[in-house]
Amino acid sequence: MVDAASWLPTELTPMSHSLDVLFDVALGVVTFFFVLVEVLLVTFLIRYRRTKTNQTGVNVHGNNRLEVIWTLIPAAILVCMGVYCVKVVYALQTPPAKPEVIKVTGHMWFWEFQYPNGLTTKNDLRVPAGENVLFEIHSADVIHGFYIPAVRIQQDALPGRQTEFWMNADTDKVGQVFDVPCDQFCGSGHPIMDAKMTVMSPADYEHWEQTQLQKQKQNSGQ
Amino acid sequence: MEAAVQAPRKSFIREWVMTVDHKKIGIMYGVTSLFFFLLAGLFALLVRTDLLVPSGLFSPQTYNEFFTMHATIMIFAVIIPLLTGAFGNYLVPLMIGARDMAFPRMNALSYWLYLASGVVLLFSMFFGMPDAGWTSYPPYSIQSQGPGIDLWVTAIHIAGLSSILGAINFVVTIHKMRAPGMTYNRMPLFVWSILVTAYMQIFGTPALAGAVTTLLADRHFGTVFYDATAGGDPMLYQHLFWFYSHPAVYIMILPGFGIISELLPVFSRKPIFGYHAIAYSSVAIGFLGFFVWAHHMFVAGMSMSAGIPFMISSLIIAVPTSVKIFNWLATMWRGAVDYTVPMMYASLGFIGSFIIGGFSGVIVAEVPLDMHLHDTYFIVAHIHYVLFGGSVMTIMAGLHYWFPKVTGRMFNTKLGHISFWFYFIGTQVTFFPMHLVGLAGMPRRYQSYLPEFQFWNDVSTIGSYILGVGTLIIIFNLFYSAKYGKKVGNNPWGARTLEWTISSPPPEHNFTELPVVTENPYQPYSPQEVEEVATA
Repeated sequence: MVDAASWLPTELTPMSHSLDVLFDVALGVVTFFFVLVEVLLVTFLIRYRRTKTNQTGVNVHGNNRLEVIWTLIPAAILVCMGVYCVKVVYALQTPPAKPEVIKVTGHMWFWEFQYPNGLTTKNDLRVPAGENVLFEIHSADVIHGFYIPAVRIQQDALPGRQTEFWMNADTDKVGQVFDVPCDQFCGSGHPIMDAKMTVMSPADYEHWEQTQLQKQKQNSGQ
Repeated sequence: MEAAVQAPRKSFIREWVMTVDHKKIGIMYGVTSLFFFLLAGLFALLVRTDLLVPSGLFSPQTYNEFFTMHATIMIFAVIIPLLTGAFGNYLVPLMIGARDMAFPRMNALSYWLYLASGVVLLFSMFFGMPDAGWTSYPPYSIQSQGPGIDLWVTAIHIAGLSSILGAINFVVTIHKMRAPGMTYNRMPLFVWSILVTAYMQIFGTPALAGAVTTLLADRHFGTVFYDATAGGDPMLYQHLFWFYSHPAVYIMILPGFGIISELLPVFSRKPIFGYHAIAYSSVAIGFLGFFVWAHHMFVAGMSMSAGIPFMISSLIIAVPTSVKIFNWLATMWRGAVDYTVPMMYASLGFIGSFIIGGFSGVIVAEVPLDMHLHDTYFIVAHIHYVLFGGSVMTIMAGLHYWFPKVTGRMFNTKLGHISFWFYFIGTQVTFFPMHLVGLAGMPRRYQSYLPEFQFWNDVSTIGSYILGVGTLIIIFNLFYSAKYGKKVGNNPWGARTLEWTISSPPPEHNFTELPVVTENPYQPYSPQEVEEVATA
């Protein structure tokens, strides 16, 4: 029996860590209001239930001060959350300096990766730890979704349009393998369109990229 | 359903097929959409059954058809027609003191169009079901083989036409046919919610028609709207589609909000708290609902910062919704809450579940968090808490609440309570675990999945069976009681809106004399009235 996955997966990058912090903050805020509403609901249901002595409710039609309070307080909290999110959005979007560019192409139903030296692989993604990697994402046919749960980011892969995102894997994750599922519905192979991403040390990555390219050239030369 | 009380007795064809009476049309909408509810529920159970084991039990193609049919039927043939067609048609003229809708024949036409659209969907079960999801994104939907997508487009077109005709009818009826003294600020809150919903349908539906028409043209007439190699753009479809389909989310919940606003004061025996706040927040939701559509597209190819305005509008729309929640809670505060079946659905069932969908909505509205959660099971959990914990709970509340008005009889209360607990527990067991596998990174629309997701998927599936049993109990209770239930008086709940002042079921043209309205229906209860309800 495999352990049941029921919370956020491993944090692979500093960015996934800061996204999880944002998630925890947002979850904390909504949990507070969730508990508040549920407690009020159950309390009122029990405390003010209809009994022989409690046959009618009080004559109250509303209260403007309360209306203002419960409009402005949620609004203020949402504004704060919005501002916080905007900062994260720009951090996510700003491309890093001198990234290793890996071209990602979605096919029905596999992922193709093209590395800077021209090497192409199928469903086998390797990234160097501690270095900035930029994915340039395309599709060869229908829309796919390039999603790395451990990085907490996805972008759709579209025909005729390039999307991108970047990552920088933590160096202590070298040797670990992560799922890269497709998460935009693309037909009957959609659930099995799952690449694996291996985090390597930069030296190993360099070596792998070169030797694989050699192998590929030899194979195609035969 | 029992026929109206008037003599002489008419033939079935005259009485139902040829009717232009808003109440009968409402009942036909209700019965038809409950049939489709059972069908869509069956598809949902098949989807959940497939997911019992990680490898899936059906073929991927079959599975894709099942979830497409489930969502399409639920949205276009169940929730929208039940809330607007059934509740709206039956109740709006009664509540505003009118003898019928403004255009009774057009009203009948919208029902028959709705039925035709449902029949087209039924046909697809025999000729090839659509397999591209209820969103039907191109280019996949253009490449999809067989007549499934074409039938889907046809059904959407007919349903859309029915929706627009119905909406025009509501707008004219509510603006022009209110009884003397029924000012806007005295209208029942359900009528307010239907008015806003109708405007949203009129403004939103044409965008959907444009989306599916161009899809059909790309499939068969050689156009290239969504063909990137010829200069088309698949994202255009998504913009058009969501320009309708996000407002559609509010079309599917606003009338439900209206139902809740009617029930809570009656069962708390207290005036509604903040009448104007509730009415105007519906208008705010209707307006803002048109400015949030691209939050479905944060990862679809827009730059991340282009999502910011839509994130802001999506966060803002949570404000009028929370205003409603607080006003409903305040309505129960210091009330005299009666634990009737409709009240259980409205309070614990609806408020208790819907807020989970509201709060997860605040989370996925945030661009950075949506980068992870988009198109995962977290979204599936969110939409089901909104549509099932929200809309369907309000539908069940409303069905039980107006049942004695429509039939003149009472449902079996004990069965009603049992079905409520099946629904309440089933909803949490089915949909809550979806948050967990979604957070862990399980994408949606997966016929098979990684083994680590099995445990919570199995829990969900068990929950869905609980909901299935609950649904059968409800349907049995309502149909059985319509014929054999205990007869009740005109106003068994002690409600204040106009429909409760006339006989159950109401006579053919509702009011022999038009009522004169002097105040809104949410007034305090005097001890004498309580006495009258108790002895009635």
